[in-house]
Amino acid sequence: MTQKVRIAQLSCGPEYSGVQGEIYEAAGAVDAEIFFPDVALADVMSAVQEFGLDVRSADLKLAIARAKALVEGKVDADAVFIATCFRCAEAAIVRNELRRYIHERSTLPVVSYSFTERTTAGTLLTRMEALTTIARRRALLAREEQTGITLGVDSGSSTTKAVVMRDNKVVGTGWRPTIEVLKSADEVVALALAEAGLSRDDIQAIGTTGYGRFLIGKHLGADLIQEELTVNSKGAVYLADHQRGASTVIDIGGMDNKAISVIDGIPGTFTMGGICAGASGRFLEMTAKRLGVDITELGPLALKGFGKNVPMNSYCIVFGTQSLVNALAAGSSPEDVAAAACHSVAEQVFEQQLQEVDIKEPVIMVGGTSLIEGLVHAMGELLQTDIVVPPHSQYIGAVGSALLASGYIKGD
Amino acid sequence: MAKVFIYPATSLILSDLVARFGHQPLGAALSIRERIQTAGVESPPLQITPEEPKKGLKYAAVEVPSGVRGRMSVYGPLIEAAEAAVIVTDADLAFGCMGCARTDELILFSLRSKDIPILEVEYPRSEEEGVRFVAAIRDFLANLKTEETA
Amino acid sequence: MADYTPRFVGTVTKYVFVESPTMTPSALALRAYEVSEGVMIKETCFGLQVTGKPEEVDRLIRRIREFDPAHIFVKDRGFPPGDPRRCRANLGGARPGYLGHEAEFPLLRYVSHGLEALGKGGGAAPEQPAERREKHPLLDIRKLKDLIEEAEES
Repeated sequence: MTQKVRIAQLSCGPEYSGVQGEIYEAAGAVDAEIFFPDVALADVMSAVQEFGLDVRSADLKLAIARAKALVEGKVDADAVFIATCFRCAEAAIVRNELRRYIHERSTLPVVSYSFTERTTAGTLLTRMEALTTIARRRALLAREEQTGITLGVDSGSSTTKAVVMRDNKVVGTGWRPTIEVLKSADEVVALALAEAGLSRDDIQAIGTTGYGRFLIGKHLGADLIQEELTVNSKGAVYLADHQRGASTVIDIGGMDNKAISVIDGIPGTFTMGGICAGASGRFLEMTAKRLGVDITELGPLALKGFGKNVPMNSYCIVFGTQSLVNALAAGSSPEDVAAAACHSVAEQVFEQQLQEVDIKEPVIMVGGTSLIEGLVHAMGELLQTDIVVPPHSQYIGAVGSALLASGYIKGD
Repeated sequence: MAKVFIYPATSLILSDLVARFGHQPLGAALSIRERIQTAGVESPPLQITPEEPKKGLKYAAVEVPSGVRGRMSVYGPLIEAAEAAVIVTDADLAFGCMGCARTDELILFSLRSKDIPILEVEYPRSEEEGVRFVAAIRDFLANLKTEETA
Repeated sequence: MADYTPRFVGTVTKYVFVESPTMTPSALALRAYEVSEGVMIKETCFGLQVTGKPEEVDRLIRRIREFDPAHIFVKDRGFPPGDPRRCRANLGGARPGYLGHEAEFPLLRYVSHGLEALGKGGGAAPEQPAERREKHPLLDIRKLKDLIEEAEES
């Protein structure tokens, strides 16, 4: 049995929201254990003073002292989980500042989360899995080159993707909307193998990721089944040829969005979420449908328009669609509406998630939505940087899986 | 014997003095004990389930964080039952059940809004203050008894 | 979700803290055992935890208080002793409530002094009620005037 990954919890409120049990369960599912760094009252008082953030809530003072004990090495941990109540301003300030503080002053992977009473272990699982992977599999994540012949499959909420890689090159790809999880996976694998001119027997190792990773992983007999946070960040820096140093990876997905701060190919801090589908690829799909264009045409269309001509705030997909319909009825051009939709999604991700990771250049956008030029352009404008969209960016999870899976080739 | 809410609700000093002078201290432990000793769905560590923040909607609106509403589901019934309250106004280091400043503000407001006798004191920082502190609490509690028997 | 089956139903647990120049926690425990009459007693670094039926615990607490009335302090506890959910060994550190006790512990001697002084004086209240400490006393207007004049002169 492998040693349990020890995750230090810095929090205010989960035991009173009825979600501490869910945190324990999510950690237990990935063979990790939650613990609370031991500090004395005197440590709390001096830590708060030295940290310089005068919070009133005593449990937040305690969180600050615990973070300090971790950074100073007085308490050992493998990873840090910061959790505070959703909608608490005082706690949000502490959560962000502690995440930044730990990230800058230690090598501990950190994830922060704001919960409600509805938060479940399922929601936390991917985050906990990523935390433990970073802590446990640093050697695996250090891999910078793909070797042999490997297959990577990404079973996402909207689409299923597969790539076959051979000697550090993508030689076959497959893409299908996710309908039946296993059937879609089989189809994309067949497409990728056909393009590569290879058969299943030629494959030396398989990696799976995405929502359906466990199901298809079992079905395909995968060597590596891994959540998308670590896989995508690995794939992104690999494809962008920026494996060393700092970078930021943004993946606006069909169901949720990821923003990951990466150092030397390993995620440091990350957020995963999406308050509403209004800030997701799904909204852009709906926009394309309403405009009567294919999703692949939305990006070029948006680049021709001016988003500022159309008032749109897609905090909610229903209201976002309503603004879209209103704008078209008021005579706005499809180009302007497309541009406004892209800007709105970029703005939501910027406001809700990118505030929680430190943006370091290069900013790499990946996933299917990175092919929508209008969205990339809007994000670049908001961040005031040239966004990097690497080749095969829509296959990011599959490429990351294939890359990491090559570590499992027998005799490797 | 009157039911006296103590603030901080985790205070050893207040719990002791209220009981010592013949009244029942209403503190966090009573509510936690009730949960720990009631069968139901497992929800470690305090047996506060996700249902409790929903019960807390009685005391705070839905836009108030779940931790505040969950804590209020612990304290709300105690505040409702309280016939008097002793409040320490400089209790800045009360953790856990009292670890959220917003909840603490709401508890104090709820107590002050109630038509019950309230004593507000500060922690003693010297022997002289210790005498005043104990005397103030003793006399406050003694008057409760008088009112009750009158 | 797993079902929860409580233990120690119908009992109460109380913390007994001793902060005394004449009685150590272990001496307190020894004497408490003598009068426990079957009530569960657990020694701790600060005193005791006692667990049992409410009336039995009340009786024992009354006896224990008699040992050193001004230096023994009692408080309810929600959990039974040794509960794994609150145990330091399982949590990795002290539960938050412990720090709360740490905050009040140094003040106990002042409370003890108050209890003793009031006990000796036949229970008479001090002449003045507890006054609020002024955290930032306002500058007296005359003093301000003096300061301005001083500054102008120099």
